[in-house]
Amino acid sequence: MQRILEHPILGPLPEEEKVTIYVDGEPVEARKGEMIAATLMATGKPYFRKTVKRHEPRSIFCGIGRCTDCVMTVNGIPNVRTCVTAVEDGMVIETQMGFGDWGGNDSK
Amino acid sequence: MTDDKDMFICRCEEVTLREIEQAIDEGFVTVTDIKRVTRAGMGLCQGRTCTKTIARIISQRTGKPLDEVLPKSYRSPVRPQKMQAVENEEFNDAKNS
Repeated sequence: MQRILEHPILGPLPEEEKVTIYVDGEPVEARKGEMIAATLMATGKPYFRKTVKRHEPRSIFCGIGRCTDCVMTVNGIPNVRTCVTAVEDGMVIETQMGFGDWGGNDSK
Repeated sequence: MTDDKDMFICRCEEVTLREIEQAIDEGFVTVTDIKRVTRAGMGLCQGRTCTKTIARIISQRTGKPLDEVLPKSYRSPVRPQKMQAVENEEFNDAKNS
């Protein structure tokens, strides 16, 4: 999937500062202020997580922070809703398997 | 083989239409009952997506009005919050809500 560069109503996509996020270890260029899910959809990431019971791939569903289908591990914290979380420079995003992993002794 | 009955009603807990209809036929005829026997509505989103769908499925299958089927009240928190917010009133996770 790619970004809408020429929108019929909103017009051309404005210039925006770029930040770098790391998706499963790979650096990815994102537009400052956009949601993580927007960046990932623009890069064509096939799925954001795999489900707990059937291990099926999931990506964006409602896109407004209600359904929790787009949750991923962000900066080590699992179950972050990527459709309502803005990108920050240097953010580390990981595809989440099941409920994700809190990483041992982390008490957050 | 998959058919319409295999569609997910509760996406979080991966509960299908078939499982919900089975539960209704076994006599579980409110959203709260269905939640307790199938876990539908107990996942990450806490029934935000499926409560109304399940209520309609029960209503259509049993003929009960929606009022009798839906939970009597919503329990807080209405939006997902971190436990920090319960501990500390000053804590505001606006970035993530």
